[in-house]
Amino acid sequence: MQKERLMNLTAVKIILGVLEQKEHIDEIVTSAAKEV
Amino acid sequence: MKLERITIENFRQYCDKQRVDFAKDEQKRVTVIHGINGAGKTSFFLSINWCLYGTSVENIKIIDNVGELMSKEAVSRAAIGETIRTSVDLAFLHNGERYQIKRMLQGVKLIDGTVKVEENDSFSMMRTKADGQAERINNPIGTMNSILPANVREYFLFDGEKIDNFAKPEAAKQVKQAIYLVLKLEILERSRRHLEAVAVEYRKELKNKSGQQLRDLLEEEEKARKEIQKSRDRIYEVHQEIDSAEQKIADIDKRLREMENTNILQQQRDRIERELKQRRTELEEIVSTIQGLATSGYFVVAEAAIKKAILLLEEKRARGEIPSDFRQQFIKDLINKMVCVCGRPFDDGSEEHRTLLAKISHGLPDALQDEVLNTCAVLQAFEQRTEKHRADVDSAMRRRAELVDIIRSLEAELDDLSRQLKGSPLEEISKLERNRENFKADVREYNFEVVILHTRIDDLNKKLVELKKEIDRARREEKREVLLSTKLDLAQRAADAIGEMYQSFADEMREKIQDKTKEIFKKLVWKESHFQDVKLGPDFNLEVIDRYGYSARPELSAGERQVLSLSFIMAMSRISDEEAPLVMDTPFGRLSSHHRNAIAEHLPTLASQLILFVTDEELRDEARQNMEARIGAEYRLEFSSKTSCTEIIEVK
Repeated sequence: MQKERLMNLTAVKIILGVLEQKEHIDEIVTSAAKEV
Repeated sequence: MKLERITIENFRQYCDKQRVDFAKDEQKRVTVIHGINGAGKTSFFLSINWCLYGTSVENIKIIDNVGELMSKEAVSRAAIGETIRTSVDLAFLHNGERYQIKRMLQGVKLIDGTVKVEENDSFSMMRTKADGQAERINNPIGTMNSILPANVREYFLFDGEKIDNFAKPEAAKQVKQAIYLVLKLEILERSRRHLEAVAVEYRKELKNKSGQQLRDLLEEEEKARKEIQKSRDRIYEVHQEIDSAEQKIADIDKRLREMENTNILQQQRDRIERELKQRRTELEEIVSTIQGLATSGYFVVAEAAIKKAILLLEEKRARGEIPSDFRQQFIKDLINKMVCVCGRPFDDGSEEHRTLLAKISHGLPDALQDEVLNTCAVLQAFEQRTEKHRADVDSAMRRRAELVDIIRSLEAELDDLSRQLKGSPLEEISKLERNRENFKADVREYNFEVVILHTRIDDLNKKLVELKKEIDRARREEKREVLLSTKLDLAQRAADAIGEMYQSFADEMREKIQDKTKEIFKKLVWKESHFQDVKLGPDFNLEVIDRYGYSARPELSAGERQVLSLSFIMAMSRISDEEAPLVMDTPFGRLSSHHRNAIAEHLPTLASQLILFVTDEELRDEARQNMEARIGAEYRLEFSSKTSCTEIIEVK
């Protein structure tokens, strides 16, 4: 229920990848940026 | 997660190897383990905790004294130099896969009869997938933590002795912490912090590779963000100070309640403060109603114009200009056919012809006439709405004035009480009250500081929006380091998005917990018609409201407090994502038969698996009958005073 709610919580939506449950985060952000 | 089986070996008073199979069917999901006081219920409960998390994990202490884990009987039986092994094996199902975990501690018996215990225990995990493939897990601690995080453990494996902690008047901090951990708010906050840290590194790197103008802008942005973080840190510190001051006030109140000379005055103060809190809430609601009326009352401003328009239209109606007795199209048709209204033909220029032409020139076109009539109806509806709106505003303003008066008089009563206490001839009372007043003043100052800090953060955020526009422009001009710029942009936007949504998510979760707690509490408590509501406000105080609208928490009995606390814990486990069993050690301790029966009936429906450690008194008669159909496994703990060991006996 809650995970769905978090998903529902308008490229940035990176957030779901990061949602922990810095190297890893850098990989996620770099892949999304490669937007370019 | 569903527990299947546990094997305990030489753990505290459990000598040799002993095994328990837990009930886990949809229908029969309850395992009951009976034992009189001292038979070993808490040791058994502890063995599950130890197997899952060891003695401590992530700085959370699970077990205080490692040396006491090993069975004394096993040690006494062992020969000098022999290795003694204490272990707990646990099998469980999770997401369709079967896990087997084992925690083991070894020691060697020395010549003086003591045991040299290994410094660390060993922990291993095997996983069998749905296709029967078994594998050893390389990161068992991390995997266990992702199945049921250690920091939420105590909300699923909980000790009945501590169960009423959440319902105590000073428990707001624990309630807040529990919600923060179990409902993933911690994960959100950690994600924001880590994304922010990554963005800081990107910004540094970009600054080193940029031209002067962009470098200056990035530096300014970094400075603003640091200031925001500093203000946030200070808000956190101030909240801690507020908690601490409020705790000191609560301690003084408790002391004054206990003292013979002051207990009546303090009880009066408790009552007034409860009413004051309620009136302030009511005042907030009224003010927000008035604000709502103000924003929806735009038509009141046009009242004079509306009245004038209605008057003009009424005059036209009185003069017969609207509505016309004939529609324009009908008259045009008559003129074209040269026929009178009565059907008689007429000549060009005749009196009938002139009359019809006059009607055409004085009347309104059909479409316009319809519009005018519609507008007339709309304007009259507006006029009625204006009157109702004015009456609503008047009534809300009157209520607001009444509430302000009530609040002032309650505050005056509180001041008077405080003066009496400060003027007490007994030095201790006078000193306590003076200290209380100082703490109250501290809280007011801290709250004011929080408002100032929030304003500062808002201003800085506005500045950041402007800076971002300039940075984007400068970046486009430089056209260097496009990938790095994009990384910074995305990481920062993701961190900001989490920050933006955090509070609304936290509020939403708090309200869900509140509603679920209320639903469960009303099922479990026997005076359900006396208790109207359960509130969990932004201050995280768990409140029960009685049928008169007053806070009922100060009058809750120890049993009712336990039921409230249990309802909160159950609500947490229902709202959270964790599909974990509920393991409860002596949950019915202080409850009367009414509550016991209700809990025995509803508890199995609120958890996917339930393991209860109970004394012989806790689950009998009607409570036992209410749970009977759900019990799938039952054991009795028999303590032998000859060997000081406990034997686990299955009840057939």
